[in-house]
Amino acid sequence: MLKINELHVSVDDKKILKGINLEINAGEVHAIMGPNGSGKSTLSNVIAGRDGYEVTQGSVTFKGKDLLALAPEERAWEGIFLAFQYPVEIPGVNNTYLLKAGVNAKRKHHGQQELDAMDFMQLVKEKAKLVELDASFLSRGVNEGFSGGEKKRNEIFQMAVLEPQLALLDETDSGLDIDALRIVAQGVNQLRSAQRAIVMVTHYQRLLDYIKPDVVHVLVDGQILKTGDANLAMELEERGYDWVREEAAA
Amino acid sequence: MNQVNPLVEQVREQGRLTFNRLGIPTMRLEHWKYTDVKRAMAPFMDHLGDPPAEAAIDTTAIDALAMENLDAYRMVLIDGRLHQEASALPQGVRADSLATLLAEKPEQGIEPLTTREDAPLFNGFVALNAAHARDGVSICIADGVQLDKPLYILHISSGGAAHICHGIHIGSQSQATVIEHYTGSEDTAGFTNVVSQVRLLQGGSLTHIRLQQESSRQTHIGRVSVCQQRDSRYRSHSIALGAALSRVDLITSLAGTGAACELNGLYLTGGRQHADHHTVIEHRAPYCNSREMYRGVLDGRSRAVFNGRVVVHEGAVKTDSSQSNANLLLSARAEVDTKPELEIYNDDVKCAHGATIGQLDTNQLFYLKSRGLSEDEARQLLTFAFADEVLASIDIPTVRRHIEHAAFSKLPHGVDIEEILV
Repeated sequence: MLKINELHVSVDDKKILKGINLEINAGEVHAIMGPNGSGKSTLSNVIAGRDGYEVTQGSVTFKGKDLLALAPEERAWEGIFLAFQYPVEIPGVNNTYLLKAGVNAKRKHHGQQELDAMDFMQLVKEKAKLVELDASFLSRGVNEGFSGGEKKRNEIFQMAVLEPQLALLDETDSGLDIDALRIVAQGVNQLRSAQRAIVMVTHYQRLLDYIKPDVVHVLVDGQILKTGDANLAMELEERGYDWVREEAAA
Repeated sequence: MNQVNPLVEQVREQGRLTFNRLGIPTMRLEHWKYTDVKRAMAPFMDHLGDPPAEAAIDTTAIDALAMENLDAYRMVLIDGRLHQEASALPQGVRADSLATLLAEKPEQGIEPLTTREDAPLFNGFVALNAAHARDGVSICIADGVQLDKPLYILHISSGGAAHICHGIHIGSQSQATVIEHYTGSEDTAGFTNVVSQVRLLQGGSLTHIRLQQESSRQTHIGRVSVCQQRDSRYRSHSIALGAALSRVDLITSLAGTGAACELNGLYLTGGRQHADHHTVIEHRAPYCNSREMYRGVLDGRSRAVFNGRVVVHEGAVKTDSSQSNANLLLSARAEVDTKPELEIYNDDVKCAHGATIGQLDTNQLFYLKSRGLSEDEARQLLTFAFADEVLASIDIPTVRRHIEHAAFSKLPHGVDIEEILV
């Protein structure tokens, strides 16, 4: 589904990613772990299409299409979703309106009929239950005045409504207390399916206690130094990241 | 013409003399340096005091210009003259035509026409208004009255010069909403010169909505002057959408302990429109509170001016004041001049002010696009949201909707406005 080949990315002439190779297939859950500053967020931002990242080398394809040639909204229509590490507040833009516009833009792109207000509200109410989001959040401004936990729940709620094929969860566990973490993880687990791939970008192993990955990658200094199964995450939790660096150097 | 009372004649004469001395403000004056009214005023200079011809505007035309489905006491002024048949003056509240008052109770009638020359932002237009304002609405709400419906003053311009003067008196512990709505048919190129004098007695509360939606060729000059007694509340929503050139001065004096004001403003300009807002908040008493938020969205080659002055006088301890002006430029050729001014003459105060001029937030844009909204759609949504934050505090839904519709349909859009407003 997603193929990343020899990807090099710079920000303000500073090399952040130095040759990433990664293949993610439908139905898989991947975790990308690494210390701060290793390039984790850069990777998810490049896939989602944020400005300010210069791809100097390599390619990213999604379902065979050149992803890097697409605008962020086109990537969304193709089925890519980024759950933000820091979801922005957009006062005055109604949460439900945003989702309806998003869902219908995607449907239109695929030649499907747009959902009417009734069908849409039905869908939204059903999905809100998934992350135990109170209905009052639906009519509020996007993330406006939400607590840290509410913002992250709102991200997963949006993911549920937009039904992406590839979901990138950028540090979704940061700033969550244990109850919120459990709710968010439950939501994500319910969204696991054979047609969908999920990539969790995280610093800690904590989230992986709740959402068990099929594959774990260790990203250090802009390169994937090691790939393994869920046990690798446990090992990182115990031993830190230095041994991976040393092993790679040897 | 009926005979003119000497009191009224004295006010008129004073206005004429002052105007002859001051004339139309020029760009040499500090408070008019960004707003050139000379060209806009040229067609009117020879007949500034002439009463406009009686316009034939029927009730269908009036209803078409009025806010839809608004449950209010309506008063209609056509070219500055009260239209009796279309107006319903409320019971229990004294709302007189200024013309009637001047004829029957001149000593009361001249009150709103009298502005001292040393008042903040006094200029030739105020004198001109005193010399020529024939009509307006004089509202007097007795003590302890909670008005059940807003007072809606609809102004229709059909061209020519209209000088209008309103007096709004809110009694002690009384509460009211007054809406001044300025309109005209699209092809009119008139001149509106309006002065509103507001007085709030102890514990009185007024929500004052001022919507300027005149034709794109109109010249609009307005002045709102407010005096607030102890514990009174004044909340203003000043919205400028129409006119080729508009200038609105809002001066409020917090004269009694514990008084509070909230000034909200929104101007949307396009084409070659020019919109100027000057405000002065005078903190003259202890424990007063002022909040001011003005926002502007500028497109085309339009130009806006904001000048907000907050003065905290010596005895005004425990003053709490905040002021902000934010501007969004949609076009590289639009221009805004903004100047918040703060003058503080005692130490025991909390004051904050700031102004910004900018484009849309790139993080917000990316967030919306990552959810599947196109670049255009995301930009429109953020622009609407920026403007709507000022309107959110209007608590009469019909009025808020009317303004949102009028405002958003002015902005470049492709999205369904109706849906955003859900």
